[in-house]
Amino acid sequence: MIAAPVGLSLTSKRTAAQIAKIVGNTRRPSVIWLHFQDCTGCTETLLRTSAPDVTHLILDVISLDYHETLMAASGAQAEAVLKSSIEENAGKYVLVIEGAIPAKDDGVFMELAGKPAIEVAKEVGSEAAAVIAIGSCASWGGVPSADPNPTGAVGVDSVVSGKPIINLPGCPPNPYNLLAVVLEYVTMGRLPEMDEFKRPRFAYERVIHENCPRRAHFDAGRFALAFGDEGHRKGWCLYKLGCKGPVTHAACSVRHFNEVPGVWPIGMGVPCLGCTEKSVVWKMGTFETVPIHLATPPDTYPPIYSTAGGLKVGAAALVGAIAGAVGGAAWVASQRFQSSTEAGVARVSADIAYAEKLKAKPTGKKED
Amino acid sequence: MAITRRELITGIAKAGVPAAVAVTVGTETLKAETIPVPSAAVGLLYDATICIGCKACVAACAEANDTPPDTRGDALHQAPSDLNDLTRNVIKLYKPEDGSAFSFVKRQCMHCLDPACAAGCPFQALHKDPESGVVNWTAEKCIGCRYCTITCPYHIPRFQWAGFNPRVTKCELCSHRLEKGLKPGCTSVCPTGAVIFGPRPVLLLEAKRRIQNSPGRYYQDRVYGELDNGGTQALYLSHVPFEKLGLPELGPESVPAKTLRWQRRFYQYFALPALLYAGLVQVIRKSLAGHEHELHEREKETGLRAQI
Amino acid sequence: MSSAAAEINRSDRWERAVPVYGFPVVNGFFIGLSVLVLVALILTAYRELAGLGPVSGMNDAYGWGIWKTFNVMVLTALGSGAFAVGIAAWVFRRKKLHALMRMALLTSFLAYACGLLLLGIDAGRPWNFYWIVFPWKWNMHSPLAEVAICMSIYAMIPLAVENIPPVLERLWYFDSRLRPGVETIEKRLHYFFPWIIAAAYLLPGMHQSSLGALMLLAGERVHPLWQSPLLPVLYLGAATFMSFGCVAGTTMLCCLVWKRGMDMDVLDEAARITAWLIFVWLGLRLLDIMIRGALGTAFHFDRFAGVFWLEVLLIAIGGVLLWRSLRTHDKQSMFVGYVLSSAGGMIYRFSPTTLAFRPNPEALYFPATVEILVSLGFISLGVVGFLVAVKRFAILPAPLQEWHDMASYFRFRRPYIRWTGYFKYGFFGEDETEGGEYRVSGD
Repeated sequence: MIAAPVGLSLTSKRTAAQIAKIVGNTRRPSVIWLHFQDCTGCTETLLRTSAPDVTHLILDVISLDYHETLMAASGAQAEAVLKSSIEENAGKYVLVIEGAIPAKDDGVFMELAGKPAIEVAKEVGSEAAAVIAIGSCASWGGVPSADPNPTGAVGVDSVVSGKPIINLPGCPPNPYNLLAVVLEYVTMGRLPEMDEFKRPRFAYERVIHENCPRRAHFDAGRFALAFGDEGHRKGWCLYKLGCKGPVTHAACSVRHFNEVPGVWPIGMGVPCLGCTEKSVVWKMGTFETVPIHLATPPDTYPPIYSTAGGLKVGAAALVGAIAGAVGGAAWVASQRFQSSTEAGVARVSADIAYAEKLKAKPTGKKED
Repeated sequence: MAITRRELITGIAKAGVPAAVAVTVGTETLKAETIPVPSAAVGLLYDATICIGCKACVAACAEANDTPPDTRGDALHQAPSDLNDLTRNVIKLYKPEDGSAFSFVKRQCMHCLDPACAAGCPFQALHKDPESGVVNWTAEKCIGCRYCTITCPYHIPRFQWAGFNPRVTKCELCSHRLEKGLKPGCTSVCPTGAVIFGPRPVLLLEAKRRIQNSPGRYYQDRVYGELDNGGTQALYLSHVPFEKLGLPELGPESVPAKTLRWQRRFYQYFALPALLYAGLVQVIRKSLAGHEHELHEREKETGLRAQI
Repeated sequence: MSSAAAEINRSDRWERAVPVYGFPVVNGFFIGLSVLVLVALILTAYRELAGLGPVSGMNDAYGWGIWKTFNVMVLTALGSGAFAVGIAAWVFRRKKLHALMRMALLTSFLAYACGLLLLGIDAGRPWNFYWIVFPWKWNMHSPLAEVAICMSIYAMIPLAVENIPPVLERLWYFDSRLRPGVETIEKRLHYFFPWIIAAAYLLPGMHQSSLGALMLLAGERVHPLWQSPLLPVLYLGAATFMSFGCVAGTTMLCCLVWKRGMDMDVLDEAARITAWLIFVWLGLRLLDIMIRGALGTAFHFDRFAGVFWLEVLLIAIGGVLLWRSLRTHDKQSMFVGYVLSSAGGMIYRFSPTTLAFRPNPEALYFPATVEILVSLGFISLGVVGFLVAVKRFAILPAPLQEWHDMASYFRFRRPYIRWTGYFKYGFFGEDETEGGEYRVSGD
């Protein structure tokens, strides 16, 4: 479900036009957008919005004072604009940071206008009203921070302190996450409710798995086992191909990309990589399955009587052997009784014969 | 000493048969009507015709009782195939092969009015609460003999087979929630109201009302558990025969009353065994005296010490 | 038999219990059994740590495996000799059976000891057994409580006390310094004997029948050929003829192996009683089945009918063989008769809990290898105990001459052991009282 198709309201209460009107009454709030170790993907994602679209956004809603990709100026002129914007709007501008900040070796790995990026971030961040870290790179380090992290790339909240920071992880995040945060700030003067990782709850409270359109397949145990197989073609659950949906906090299953329904990784048949989560995306293997923490009942039903137990060959053999041994011993013993009985009978009859013989001879051999 | 058997029998007969007969005949037999219903008996009414098999009650039960879900079946889903040491409540499906009517059935402890499990438990680890009628298991008294798994006619209590500190698991009607005024986990989440909680008399009335309002909908127009097995606190309504759902037709007498009648009478107040003992002592005294006399004779004869 | 033959046969009469001498305790068989015992002990330790599931074939449908149903239910029936032979000897005054009493007491004690050990191992939470000390916590309606409590009291008090006399006897003969103490103990014991012996008949009567009552609660799940209100009585009856078979059969086997004569008078008496018990029991069993209308199920072609007929035929053939052996004085048929009837009885007592128990049409039970080895190991423990006891104490009956032969064996082969009672009045006429060291009681 896309929360902001053209013509509908971004929030339940106001349309973009109304917001623009409110906002238009005051001086448009200043936004400074800094790029650090980024791929510019988060800016790119912002370009793919239509409610409001970027033109409307930067011309009518906010005053985008500094944005290296979108601004026409460059060089000394651009740096001057940055400096003046900071001075004029000190304490009131919103700083958006895209990309990770290299912290190793005093930040020598990236310099912005001759200054180490980490210093720039601290300087510009020190006068901002709020800092929005857009993208996984700015939120916690992202791609540059993957092993072995040679530049010591870290997220914004490791560098800037003392200011409200909003993390919007994702690679890239859904642009409406940013727009909603900006517009809430602009219209209501406050930042949205956030979780312990400073991510806004409206977008990052639930995991992909909870709202996934393919959840019914998961519950029924229907899994695609290889790309292109029958299950994959039928759109079955991608869990066994390593989908990280169950452990990834993001709203992608509800709000797809490019404003086209179904355009999002799982919808395209690609297992979710977990791009918002520091412990998932560059740490786990692409096809590694994740544990499920909130198990729910499956589709299949147990029968009235369930099977239990069974015959084990080894144990049966052992029982047979024991029974055979005991039976054999009993048989052997009984045979020896036979012989002992016969011997006993023979002995008794011999003794009787001898006794009779003794009786038959009255003199001499009888004993007292 | 050729008439010793007679001595034994007459001895016992004179001394005790009248008393013993009085004691055993005086013991009342337990029938369904005389099994007491606890004063605040609570229970469940499960209507199989309303159940959609969503299994929300299975998940809710695990959550309410703080048990980890049983994912041992496929390492992924909470998929118990039956009640077990992690599952107190399960939904099963009766689906005949000839395509006739199918039915879901929710299986959990029936909280019988005269529970066979409690009747067999050696140290009363399984005990029926005298007020609410809930049959609870106490870890401190259980010796793990698993007799309850054999005596229960519904095969409900389940033993934990792995580990050195095994427990016996069965539905206890979420007693810990009842204490706080909440309802059991399963009834709190049932979306269709197939299983409801309430005092047993109220549930019986509701069941009978449903039967009356929908003639022909319910099997034999009766509610299972009203008198079955001496009465249970978990009541069932179904459109297919109860036997098919795994609920055996046990008749109105409870299992313990039916099977342990003579056992209970014989050991009542320990009268008969004590009597038998007294008789035996007398007979053996006489035998022993005679035997010792003979042994002494033999000792003198053979010169060897007597062997008792 | 002619009087002359009777005179000559006097040499086979059992007049005294004599230790088995001339055969070493430790031989190949003994070592083999000890290995089995050791294996069982190790596996028991594993069972205590891992729980019951990994070591046995028990499952949710079959809560009881062979430990409870075989070692306890069946082997204690074989070990009811103290009860059955004792009642015949003491209550019904069959004097000839006194010769078998010590054998009966020993086999009973070993069977019960091993059975109770396994009962403790089978219990899932044995640390809670301490509740047995509080009688008000017992559930006296429960047949299992009755069995556990009664069996424990029986094995620990009457049965153990009845097995003390041979031990005291050995002490008396082996060390003269102990004699005063031994004689005091014996006097005390004799004072309490009627009470102890009476308890030794009441308690087994109670728990052997309660073993039968255990499966009453299982109701319809026990096949109708076995399930009956008479189950306690039939279990008790089976225990009687099985234990006679065990005692007499074991005595015959021991006499065969250790080359002693067999007293046919005593054995005939035992066989007669056993045959009588068997026929009455069979009659009761078949009558019970017919009255309950279950006879039809005996003619279905399924495993239940098969087990039923096997059991009935074994017991019946055993009984017939015993009866015949009375007339023909054929030891082989007597022994085989005992073996067959005991085997049939064992199957009878085993069936209601396992072979004839159908809790669930889909469930099966077969013991696991570890389970079988533990069971076997504890049986071996009993046999090991028996082998040691029978060679150290006077248990196995023999003619009087045997005692003298034993004494001379010890005199000449092991001169440091003096069986002095023999010397005072003995065969060689020696008088050892000069030293004043050895005094026989009553002197």
